[in-house]
Amino acid sequence: MIVSVNWLKKFTTIDATLADLVDLIGSRLVEIEEVIDIGAKYKDAVIVHVVTCEKLEGSDHLNVTKIDDGQVVEGVERDENGHIQVVCGAPNARAGMRAVWLPPKSTVPSSFDTNEPFVLDSRKLRGVMSHGMLASATELALYDDHTGILDIADDVPAGASFAQLYELDDHLLDIENKSLTHRPDCFGIIGFAREVAAIQGKGFTTPEWLRDLQPHSDGSYPLAPLKVTIDDADLSARYQAVVISDITPQASPLLVQTYLARVGMRPVNAVVDMTNYLMLLTGQPLHAFDYDKVRAIAGDDFTIHVRAGKPDEKLLLLDGREITLTAEDIVIAANDIPLALAGAMGGAATEIDETTTTIIIESATFNLFRLRTTQMRHGIFSEAITRFTKGQSPEQTAPVLMSAISLLEQWSHSRQASAVADMYPGKRDLPTITIPVSRINAVLGTHDATLPMQATLENVEFSVQVDVHEEGSDSLTVTPPYWRSDIHIPEDVIEEIGRINAYDDIEPSMPSRKFEAITVGSFDALKSRVRTRLVRAGANELLTYSFVHGDLLTAAGQNPQDSYRIINSISPDLQYYRQTITPSLLAQVHPNVKNGYESFGLFEINKVHRKSLELNDEDVPVEVSQLGFVYVDAKRTNGRAYYVAKKYVEYLLAEFGINARYEMLSADSASALTVPFEHRRSALIRDIASGQLLGVVGEYTRQSQKSFKLPGFAAGFEIDMEQLRMVAGKANSVAYKPQSRYPGTSRDICFKVGENVQYQQVSDAVEAAVAGASLDVSVEPIDIYQAEAATTKNITVRISMVAHDRTLTGNEANDLMNEVSSAVIATTDATIV
Amino acid sequence: MQTDLHELQQVLLGRIGESVTPRDVLRAPEFKELYAKIPSLPPEERGAMGREINQLKQAVEAAIDRREAELEEHDIQQIDVTAPWEPGDAMPQLLSTEQGTQHPLTKELDRVIDIFTRMGFQAIESRQIDDDFHMFGALNFPENHPARDGYDTFRTEEGFIPPAHTSTMQYRILSEGKEKLEAGGQIAAVSYGRVFRNEDVDATHEHTFYQCEGVFVSETASLSQMLGTLRSFFEAYYGQKLAVKTQPGYFPFTEPSLEFMIEKPAAIGGKPGEWLEMLGCGMIHPNVLKTAGIDPEVYRGFAWGGGIERLVMLKYGIEDLRHFESGKLQFLRNFS
Repeated sequence: MIVSVNWLKKFTTIDATLADLVDLIGSRLVEIEEVIDIGAKYKDAVIVHVVTCEKLEGSDHLNVTKIDDGQVVEGVERDENGHIQVVCGAPNARAGMRAVWLPPKSTVPSSFDTNEPFVLDSRKLRGVMSHGMLASATELALYDDHTGILDIADDVPAGASFAQLYELDDHLLDIENKSLTHRPDCFGIIGFAREVAAIQGKGFTTPEWLRDLQPHSDGSYPLAPLKVTIDDADLSARYQAVVISDITPQASPLLVQTYLARVGMRPVNAVVDMTNYLMLLTGQPLHAFDYDKVRAIAGDDFTIHVRAGKPDEKLLLLDGREITLTAEDIVIAANDIPLALAGAMGGAATEIDETTTTIIIESATFNLFRLRTTQMRHGIFSEAITRFTKGQSPEQTAPVLMSAISLLEQWSHSRQASAVADMYPGKRDLPTITIPVSRINAVLGTHDATLPMQATLENVEFSVQVDVHEEGSDSLTVTPPYWRSDIHIPEDVIEEIGRINAYDDIEPSMPSRKFEAITVGSFDALKSRVRTRLVRAGANELLTYSFVHGDLLTAAGQNPQDSYRIINSISPDLQYYRQTITPSLLAQVHPNVKNGYESFGLFEINKVHRKSLELNDEDVPVEVSQLGFVYVDAKRTNGRAYYVAKKYVEYLLAEFGINARYEMLSADSASALTVPFEHRRSALIRDIASGQLLGVVGEYTRQSQKSFKLPGFAAGFEIDMEQLRMVAGKANSVAYKPQSRYPGTSRDICFKVGENVQYQQVSDAVEAAVAGASLDVSVEPIDIYQAEAATTKNITVRISMVAHDRTLTGNEANDLMNEVSSAVIATTDATIV
Repeated sequence: MQTDLHELQQVLLGRIGESVTPRDVLRAPEFKELYAKIPSLPPEERGAMGREINQLKQAVEAAIDRREAELEEHDIQQIDVTAPWEPGDAMPQLLSTEQGTQHPLTKELDRVIDIFTRMGFQAIESRQIDDDFHMFGALNFPENHPARDGYDTFRTEEGFIPPAHTSTMQYRILSEGKEKLEAGGQIAAVSYGRVFRNEDVDATHEHTFYQCEGVFVSETASLSQMLGTLRSFFEAYYGQKLAVKTQPGYFPFTEPSLEFMIEKPAAIGGKPGEWLEMLGCGMIHPNVLKTAGIDPEVYRGFAWGGGIERLVMLKYGIEDLRHFESGKLQFLRNFS
């Protein structure tokens, strides 16, 4: 929203400098995004009288004019009468007109802020000297008009400054509307000026006409009042309408036009300009219908209905679009024929045009919640609906309508032709709010006295009654003015006082706290440890979107049906909630390989969602936090990536003291977690101590490899963080054993086993055999060997042992090794090599 | 002719199903014969014939792809998933510690949460899918209220909402803290996490970003305490004294509502008079307390919320929001 400082000054004095004003508004009312100085553009523009205007010989459209600038501009060539010669191509140039002249060396306003400012000079056109130019509204950067130069109807003296006369020595404030969502009054200049007065500590008096709430319908009118019905009181709190006759296609006063233009509204004619002008002043939009067109459609005897739209009902709007109405929309209908989309846009069939002589002016308010759905459904973001959806007070429709009647009388000699019809089913009493001064101070953390609070509220025209009790417990009884439809509860009043007197003047303090130790949440602590651990192992944490394309799911073998689907996404890439982390990680592999990274590990900890996880006891979907990891080595051609990923799992779990078992994945495992993984090269990760399943580790299916363009050496894992948290909480992360003072010994032993015997079977047998020994024994793998096409493999392990009370003898070691051998032979049918 | 083609297709598909080199079927003599027939046809039939042969060829190629994938899958040998490495190999190595990095957003979030934890705030992670009640209803946003416009929320088929602010946790924090409050305690919590807005992405707009939100409720909470708490946080975060100022704002779930600004700290290249908008804040609206079962006549609170990306961008001079979720090592490896 654009606010003109000069317009504000018509309603309140501003003592502060512009910079201070901007600071003051910023800290006590609303954020100003930008301040635009438009005065600079117009500083050289001069009002002139065109004295003569003659055709330029040899040109079909150029005229040679002599202009009178009151001789205010220096250094320009003049004729014997002191007039200046300007060649002008505008079809409306004529002797006797008043126009705006841009002298040589001045910059054309429309080019002022552009990369190529156009600076005028004196030069010959078709051999005739021309000084500067006579300007059109377009060239003056007011509004687009290609019919000719600006033709000033007002009786203004030659040589006057255009900027001063039309108050264009102005600054515009570009306001961030969002924080005024609750302030209908601030969407009018008068309301904004009231605030500007108050934040300067000044009182404000609303103009008399805006405080006069009674519709005047005295005397007799040629037409009977319009028949108006609000079919459902929920649709409209108030609907007023009046007929005005003797409308002419007259322009509004130029000063009004320049005000409309500077805040971005194009002047059209007296009627349209009047509705816009009053809306900008007060926040109350008006709408004008062509009375004769309404009669032509609905017959002479019509009733205006404010009603809900009917399904499948069609309406052709002013902007040429035909919309289909719904029961949520509010329409203005004549009898049963829809004329306009209430609050949003008029209908094409009753639009006013050059032939219009009689109009209906509507001044009303509509249910803002319905208007908002209308706005969204039909994509209408006009100045009018922006103001309606802030909740304008229905009281205001009356004074604004009376002002509309009188402005049209002044501007185009139109006449009120009927009494005002007024339906007001939504009349409400203004609220009365009583609030102790002590509470105001307590909420704000201030120590202010009663009187300044009262003065602050009275400056914005609240009526305030002070009830003085014993020391410190005064209370204020407050009634807001009618335009403050946002004031209902004590907090609304507290906000007014705090804001107008500046939040920044409140001394910051610290809450006094009950002293208590805060434990970091176990889940946060876990995430932090996982991150640190994986980063230490050279992995890179990344973050990817929670929403994915359906193709990503199917590429990973997941079923999109199990994903929550986003229905209003801007992009197909954000169609579905992801089911696991792995597919998102796989999608990041190829781009990084392409960028020259050969071996890397990527991981992400984030939430995932699947419909099959169902809802929790709050009736919202269950969320699961998962850790995904992928390792690739684009250069490596031998070996199995599975074992690297498994190594990462072991390294990670060691942080929490977790020992896991790796179980073969079944071929028909169809869970979202496991489907991206190739079952013959993947395993389930199970915590040995608790038996809890933690996740999956492995290489990816051929389909995933191909779809994600993965290098041949790629594997990863995905772990459920909640399961990990439960298991991690129980385990002691370090299994410390006291050191022995005596030397130990170690022996390597090699078992030849069938190729289908798992390493785990061998190591389990070894572990079982050494478990009973009174020694500290540790077992580690040394070598695994399988000859090409052999059906057996050799597994070599190293067994290290030490006693705490003596030096171990060779015999003791041999005995233990014998036990180990026989245990392994018994369980795996091994031979000792 | 058509039935001929159909029969031929069956024959070829059968051959593919049995072959271990299914691609050879493309060179079958039957194709050559078919193409050879085209010139002998009347000109008006040639086009249709060509199209039919192409369809046949496409069907055959698709069958070959399937068969090849099947053969490839079939070739995969079961490995010993319990072994430490593959036969003939050695213990796999982890990557070098030097190339490991934490994401700058989670790193900064850790730091923010750490400061609030030390100030006595409990941290909880925000949800990534929620309902209208938690996202709007419980926060004093009536249905169709224009204040909802600012949020551009996504929706799922079922009407769930990917939350557009971490305030989606506020009702939960308040209703869970009620008991503690009524036992004479206070509610002090921060919620953090991912939020979503239905926006086109560019250097300064993202549909996915991170926020951190705080809530404090006691019998004596005041706007002055809110200003003090926030200033104290930013002073700890930037390690220096800071000037702060505010701007009136509007959020349905707080009243009064403010925007909180700090003078840009020297540590990140600030000069006096340069202000940074850091977050939105305000006194919790009595309707929000009431909805959570807390008596607004007895208790008051303040709340605030702001984005994490902005802190990180200011800290490192990151120019483009899109880097954060790009997954590019080029970007990530800067933050070791």
